[in-house]
Amino acid sequence: MRVEVNNLDKHFGKTHAVRDLSFSVEPGRVTGFLGPNGSGKSSTMRLMLDLDSGSGETLYDGKPLTALHPVTRAVGAHLDAKFFHPKRTAFAHLRMLGAEARISKARINEVLELVGLESVAKKRPGGFSLGMGQRLGLAGAILAQPKVLFLDEPANGLDPQSIQWLRDFLKNYAASGNAVFVSSHLLSEMQLLADDVVVIAAGQLIAAESMQQFLTRAQGTNVVVRSPELNRLRDFLGNDGIEAKFEGLNTLLISGVTSDLVGEIAFKNNIQISELTLRSASLEDVFLELTESGQEFRVGGTK
Amino acid sequence: MISALVFEWRRLWSIRSTWIMLISYLGSIGFFGVFPLFSAREPGMQSWIGLYNTSYNFFSLVLLSVIGAQVFGHEYRYGTIRLTLTEFPKREIVMIAKSLVLLFFVTFSVLLSWGLLGFLAQFAPEGTVTSTAEGFTFSPNPPADLWKVLLFIVGYLFIAMSVVTITRNLALGIVIPLLMSTILESLLGILNQFAKQKFDWITTRLPFDNANDWLGDGGLYQTPGLTFAAWVVGLYLIASVMFFKRDA
Repeated sequence: MRVEVNNLDKHFGKTHAVRDLSFSVEPGRVTGFLGPNGSGKSSTMRLMLDLDSGSGETLYDGKPLTALHPVTRAVGAHLDAKFFHPKRTAFAHLRMLGAEARISKARINEVLELVGLESVAKKRPGGFSLGMGQRLGLAGAILAQPKVLFLDEPANGLDPQSIQWLRDFLKNYAASGNAVFVSSHLLSEMQLLADDVVVIAAGQLIAAESMQQFLTRAQGTNVVVRSPELNRLRDFLGNDGIEAKFEGLNTLLISGVTSDLVGEIAFKNNIQISELTLRSASLEDVFLELTESGQEFRVGGTK
Repeated sequence: MISALVFEWRRLWSIRSTWIMLISYLGSIGFFGVFPLFSAREPGMQSWIGLYNTSYNFFSLVLLSVIGAQVFGHEYRYGTIRLTLTEFPKREIVMIAKSLVLLFFVTFSVLLSWGLLGFLAQFAPEGTVTSTAEGFTFSPNPPADLWKVLLFIVGYLFIAMSVVTITRNLALGIVIPLLMSTILESLLGILNQFAKQKFDWITTRLPFDNANDWLGDGGLYQTPGLTFAAWVVGLYLIASVMFFKRDA
């Protein structure tokens, strides 16, 4: 199921929280939703789920959410790790959520086992840790095996093993033809997980493209060279119109070329090379560069 | 619609407080209704209709109003309204399902309380409850028709539910109807007397004073009954509109 977001817009009083956002979430792919704190990610998700009112529309295979039936077979959402009644048992919570899609008790037990909560199925979640709350929220979202999965910061509070499990689970879930839309602050994790990214800052769209395109978008890739003859190498590169700059005393940083070309030039000119490395920009580098100007709440005071 | 009713039914009965409140309600009815029968010194001190009227003493109303307040109160307090609305994006379906389940719950609880009262009264000293006795209630009025008692309790709980939906505060749904019915309306009446009845236009239109008048005598379409109904319907409509329009 393809999700198409068209011109979403939302004001909270004088604050323009979401500004004319348009993007799509494709089936069979994990789409990461990134943005600094206060950038409007959660508001956007709520608008997409018709939980908040605003302008614009979100279509699921061309239909609005209200036209889908049963909704939970089409869309599942996990928006907060604490969205449960603390005295309603985990099993009863899922049984309640399974009403619309007529989920069987066997399926509830299966999902509880999948998220590792089978031993606390009859316990009240008031005493659950944040990680357990995340698991219960995820269980509720995937209960009816929806074609689109919305997850807001699902990795918060999870231990490394659980994060790895979640990553594998979501990749497999998407691989079976479902669309997964997930927001997270864990950029390194998102780099491993997401196929596509949607980046917003101050409610505005910064990027909506594949992860690969996004990573090459900013500074792109650099070739790092260490050599006892860096000045000579720099001159030869300059003769070929390639600009290189020093990074410290012993390292040369070259942009816009492949490591193969740099190695070839060094070899032709008998220059000894101690290190020749391709350094890709990380998601964090690109994210920080692109969202810096639109960061609503930053360390050291508001913008 | 059926799935929304199932959802709401499971939501209601899967928390302990529903059971606790229902049992406490029945317990309080049993205590307030039947206990006096066993301490009666003379036969014929209570009528059957008076006995069943004890199902709406103010203490039991508070207990039941907790359930009315929890219909939306828990949803807002714990954020589960967002799960509910993700599952049922058509909000009118949610409102109708919650209202119908609450209506069923109140009717079931009141009928159960009458059954309990009737059953326990069998063990009272012979002749204590008769159909000819004048009987007593916990309100200043003579015993009301039972259909009126049921409608009043339904109205009271819908006011509690509506107040919570409007304020998004569970406690206010219990406290506001309670304060209005026990203190505030009497206080306004006293203040109006000091003001030489200048505020009659307010004090004659208060919900629970009118409900009391209506329970005391008259038929379904008397002005006090309609005034109380207008409050219930009015608050319910305001709550519905706010629920449909506001962000979850």
